[in-house]
Amino acid sequence: MSEEKTDELIHLTIDDIPVAVPPGTLVWAAARQAGIEIPIYCYHPKMPPLGACRMCFVEIEKLPKPPQTACTTPVSEGMIVHTKTEKVIKARKGTLEFLLINHPLDCPICDKGGECDLQDFTLRHGPGGTRFDLYKRHYSKPIPVSDRVMLDRERCILCQRCTRFSSEISMDDGLVMISRGYKMEVGTAPDHAFDSIFSGNTVEMCPVGALTATAYRFKSRPWELKRIPSVCNNCSVGCNARVDVRVDKIMRLMSRTNDAIDDGWLCDRGRWGFEFVNSSQRLRTPLIRRDGKLEPATWDQAFYLIASRIRSIADTHGAQAIGGIGSTRTTNEEAYLFQKLLREVIGTPHIDHHHGYFPVPRDLLTGKPWMMTNSIADIEKASHIVLIAADPYERQPILNLRIKKAMKSGAHIYIINESETELDRFASSKISIPQNGAGSAAKMLLKHVLNDEIAKAHQYEEMRAMIQSDDEAIRAAEEYFGVEATTQLQHLAETLVGSTGAIILYDEMATLAPGCADLAADLQALAVLTDNITRAGSGVGPLFEDANSLGARDMGLLPDALPGYAQTAEKGLAYHKMLSSPDIKALFVMGANPLRHVEQLPSKLEFLIVQDIQLTETAELADVVLPAVTFAEKDGSMTNVDHHVQAIRHALRPLPGAKPDWEILVEIAKYLGQKWTYTRPQDILSEIAASNPFYSGLTWERLGAQGVRTQEQMELNDTDVAMRKGAAHA
Amino acid sequence: MISEQAKQRMRDLAARYPVARSAIMPALYIAQQEEGYITQAALQAVAEAIGLTVDDVESVATFYTMYYQHPPGKKVIKVCTSIACYLRGCDAVVNHLEKRLGIKRGETSANGNYTFMTVECLASCGTAPVMQVNDEFVEKITLEMVDALVDEWNDALGNISNTNASDGQGRNIKNVEPKTEIRL
Amino acid sequence: MPELIVTKDIDAPGLDTLDGYRQHGGYEALSRALKEYQPDELVELVKKSGLRGRGGAGFPTGTKWSFLAKNDKTRYLCCNADESEPGTFKDRMIMEKSPHLLVEGVILASYACHVSTAFIYVRGELALAGRQVERAIEEAYAAGYIGKNILGSGFSLDVILHRGAGAYICGEESALMESLEGRRGYPRLKPPFPAAVGLYGGPTVINNCETLATLPAIIRNGAEWYASFGTEKSTGTRIFCLSGHVKKPGNYELPLGTPIRTLIYDEQYGGGVLDDRQLKAIIPGGSSTFILGADKVDTPLDFESIAAAGSMLGSGGVVVMHEDTCIVDAVLRMTEFYRDESCGKCTPCREGTYWLTEILHRIEHGDGKESDIDLLMDICDNISGKSFCPLGDAATSSITSSIKLFREEYVYHVREGRCMVGRGVTQTDR
Repeated sequence: MSEEKTDELIHLTIDDIPVAVPPGTLVWAAARQAGIEIPIYCYHPKMPPLGACRMCFVEIEKLPKPPQTACTTPVSEGMIVHTKTEKVIKARKGTLEFLLINHPLDCPICDKGGECDLQDFTLRHGPGGTRFDLYKRHYSKPIPVSDRVMLDRERCILCQRCTRFSSEISMDDGLVMISRGYKMEVGTAPDHAFDSIFSGNTVEMCPVGALTATAYRFKSRPWELKRIPSVCNNCSVGCNARVDVRVDKIMRLMSRTNDAIDDGWLCDRGRWGFEFVNSSQRLRTPLIRRDGKLEPATWDQAFYLIASRIRSIADTHGAQAIGGIGSTRTTNEEAYLFQKLLREVIGTPHIDHHHGYFPVPRDLLTGKPWMMTNSIADIEKASHIVLIAADPYERQPILNLRIKKAMKSGAHIYIINESETELDRFASSKISIPQNGAGSAAKMLLKHVLNDEIAKAHQYEEMRAMIQSDDEAIRAAEEYFGVEATTQLQHLAETLVGSTGAIILYDEMATLAPGCADLAADLQALAVLTDNITRAGSGVGPLFEDANSLGARDMGLLPDALPGYAQTAEKGLAYHKMLSSPDIKALFVMGANPLRHVEQLPSKLEFLIVQDIQLTETAELADVVLPAVTFAEKDGSMTNVDHHVQAIRHALRPLPGAKPDWEILVEIAKYLGQKWTYTRPQDILSEIAASNPFYSGLTWERLGAQGVRTQEQMELNDTDVAMRKGAAHA
Repeated sequence: MISEQAKQRMRDLAARYPVARSAIMPALYIAQQEEGYITQAALQAVAEAIGLTVDDVESVATFYTMYYQHPPGKKVIKVCTSIACYLRGCDAVVNHLEKRLGIKRGETSANGNYTFMTVECLASCGTAPVMQVNDEFVEKITLEMVDALVDEWNDALGNISNTNASDGQGRNIKNVEPKTEIRL
Repeated sequence: MPELIVTKDIDAPGLDTLDGYRQHGGYEALSRALKEYQPDELVELVKKSGLRGRGGAGFPTGTKWSFLAKNDKTRYLCCNADESEPGTFKDRMIMEKSPHLLVEGVILASYACHVSTAFIYVRGELALAGRQVERAIEEAYAAGYIGKNILGSGFSLDVILHRGAGAYICGEESALMESLEGRRGYPRLKPPFPAAVGLYGGPTVINNCETLATLPAIIRNGAEWYASFGTEKSTGTRIFCLSGHVKKPGNYELPLGTPIRTLIYDEQYGGGVLDDRQLKAIIPGGSSTFILGADKVDTPLDFESIAAAGSMLGSGGVVVMHEDTCIVDAVLRMTEFYRDESCGKCTPCREGTYWLTEILHRIEHGDGKESDIDLLMDICDNISGKSFCPLGDAATSSITSSIKLFREEYVYHVREGRCMVGRGVTQTDR
């Protein structure tokens, strides 16, 4: 059968099975594709091959010095590989026997038992017994390398996955190799803890039970776990995770590689920060305030009370007296129903949630909504990455890893921040600015760019006028910043103009600081001016705070935007106004805790409904408290920072006594006289898809395992056209 | 405490090599010269001068045997016990030194005078058996030479007694884990 | 009296100074090379001379130079003076007594290979050698033999002395590069080979100290002259390091192809076995090479003949053992070396050398089992060819060859619980 090789794949045979893979594929990966297991330890798909463990031997014809290691050999056309020859089998047994001579017989008490590569490979490829009858080496065990991770050096097979992760991926040298030879061990510098936010990845990638998690030790056996694919709920990156559940509690989250988002990693917050799901403080019954105290009630009583009070307040003061504060952590479906309830059923325009400051729902220059114009994967293609008032290590840790990956390909990092950030030591330039100086820094950059020759070619009159009007303030800021920072900013501006692809990122919440109201708009303008919106590896945007911050905006939890950012007929009160207006008599707070941001609630408030999973500060003042469930107990879609719409799936049944938010909203609507026919979140998604241009065409099935990155399905000319249309300033 | 001059020398070295990281080995020597061994301060100074993390420096320092992890004695005596010296009787030299110094191989005497180690081939096989005392060679050793040298050192260091309070056992130079061979 | 090339005038007083060296013809080769030869012509000359690496592998030097990748990445040269192979002590002598010879060789090689920065990696324990070379470099800079526009030729070179810190594995060329770059001395994956991707990512050539020290003589006297010594495939002379049970151990430069017997017994050289005992075994090229029985004493010392006899010429470290040597104890001692020097990166060498020493230890001390001897062979089979770098193979050489030649000694140990011959020089428990 002589087919023309029109594809660009390499063809080889492994154990007489023909395999075709892209060039550069390692023999080990090609074998996996063919369904052949080659045991392996030191190799990890996200790190360059090492060849240290000597486990993955194969025999490749016509190559010198058999056996060869499969993880270090790339495929070549016509290669013939054997994985089960006598030589290979003996070599594998030999390596396993060597690994086991010092390995303790800990299986009965070792967390890894049941999912341990040493157990599995010994069973499948190893010798039946050992000939070692001498003394094993001993260490005191386990020792804590941090308060989250324990190290057992006796179990360690020195595969170097954890140390290479620390040096090549997280680049913080959390774990390093100490000593050499048979005395080699994994460790840290004396009196140093492995306090990286990424430490959990080493626990996951450790092939044996040498690195264990204090949060998981002795809690479960792997075969008792149910594993549900879902998405982490801790921040706006939305890393894909696998939720491992034992009976009715979450035991741990493990990674579930999505190359477009998490690249196979999780941060410790996401991995082990699920105590709130299992917490004994969870609300298990609706509460109604009677005689000044919150007391348990039935759902019927709670709904009835809500409906009657809402109706009476609406009759007395009008629907305008009712407001709704939505959530950045509930699903799209729930956010959508929330605003639908308030706008269509109750009839009020006052809807908002806690978010950063963006002047209008869509940026006037480009007509795009406020979000990262690039994808997370695009970060790797950038030549320059500018972080202004943003420290991903704190708020969106996995993006910190992606930025480091970009650095390895040569990207330059610029940091403009008032404090130290974790990326400072990698930065080509760290520009230290005074407190709340981000807004001024952005204006300074804009001013320098506008002065540049290239910018002068286009007219950009309005922008010029705006900067001109700010000129006095900018000069004052320049003096305040000092010569060094000002010069660095000037230099950065020049660099941005000449860059092949720059990505400019800022923390969403930084826009709330004094003097930073224009931060988002100015940085957007900066990106437009330096042609960093549409090119590969370029972009600008906010790093959102929460798991569904962007979804909340998309779903119209905004006083001046409907779902899909269509304009509202009437503009409602924004977050802080709503919370301080004497005209607001009733407030419905879902999945939010405004008392964390404001001193007190509206002075003339007569009725407060709070829907949450625990009794928050705001809930303690409520008239009715409705118990909701966490992300782990319901289905729905969430939208992450670069607009991946992803499915969360329930890993637990809903806590008895609590309900998913969307079910509660359907009930409230019913009690208010509106009969919605949704039976599952998927129904709500269909309605969203039909009406929201950013979700057009989406179905639950289409979300699949890795989500879908959607963009507005609108025709957008190049940004010049949008700008020349010159929308008026608000 | 690492002196300012030492830190400057480290920085100069970092600039001399094509990539700063290469200077870590000479920088560790400079630090060890000042501190006697690789202390926390040494790690810190090297890490700062070269732009690395302390853990990274620790990892590199512990790979090589000539960077001491514990304070060495005033005289560091290293006897080669590799094959050529073995064939010319180094073991008798080792045993004799253990007796005369009052400590076993791998140990430092409690009064801080002597550190005694066995080491691998010192590239002096033609004049075996061989040892190094504070990095200078003593070749073609005989037991008489050992006696003469130890007497000389004892005088110079004011070492009255060769044995120490606790029965000839010195302080271990490495934290000994159970059943682990002590070879330095 | 055979020609002395590298060790010519080695004991002349003052040879280690610039003036003393120049009095003996020093730096004439350099000035001739810069004036009369293009770099590529020098490479051809060295190829024609048949010079092979003197560190252990014996790879033809000129050919190695010609493998350097032709791209625009910065090239580097490194002199491997990390002499740590047990039985070898020639590079130390060159560096202590004739450091300028090495320096001149480094400059010549750098010129031939278009290298502008050269390193000399000296093992840390050789403090005096390091100081001598450092001083020689400084003197050479001062005299204009290193630095910018050397002798007006337009060729510029920087030379940096780098001290090791006690790791035999750093004598392996890729581990040496890792160590030079400031990391733990783990060997690297090959390919890519140093000639393509070496130090700091650039094409790199790594040569042994003695190899480089031979270059001035080759340039001064010509390739044919050098090739007129030695054998057809192993040309020239080399320094043999004779040690162990001989009357006069030491460094002796001899033409390649000289029989082992001459080196051991000739009055000018070894002077015979210590105490006139019977010869029992010879290790021809450092402890990493296979042990040869006394019946091989007439084998010529060249790469091909020693290989045919079942070993390797290696580093030229000839270790002699006479009839009173307990082979088991000697092999134990050699295996401990590899256990202590193993870098730990790969499983077979790290765990295997530990296991081997434990078994050898109990055989030597009377607790051996019958199955131990075959177990040793099998463990060696699981290390050799399976380890990441040749240190693993080196660790097994003495064991496999000694069991083949002296199995009865092992068996005696196991059955009788003590040494068959010799007192087993070890007297205390370790």
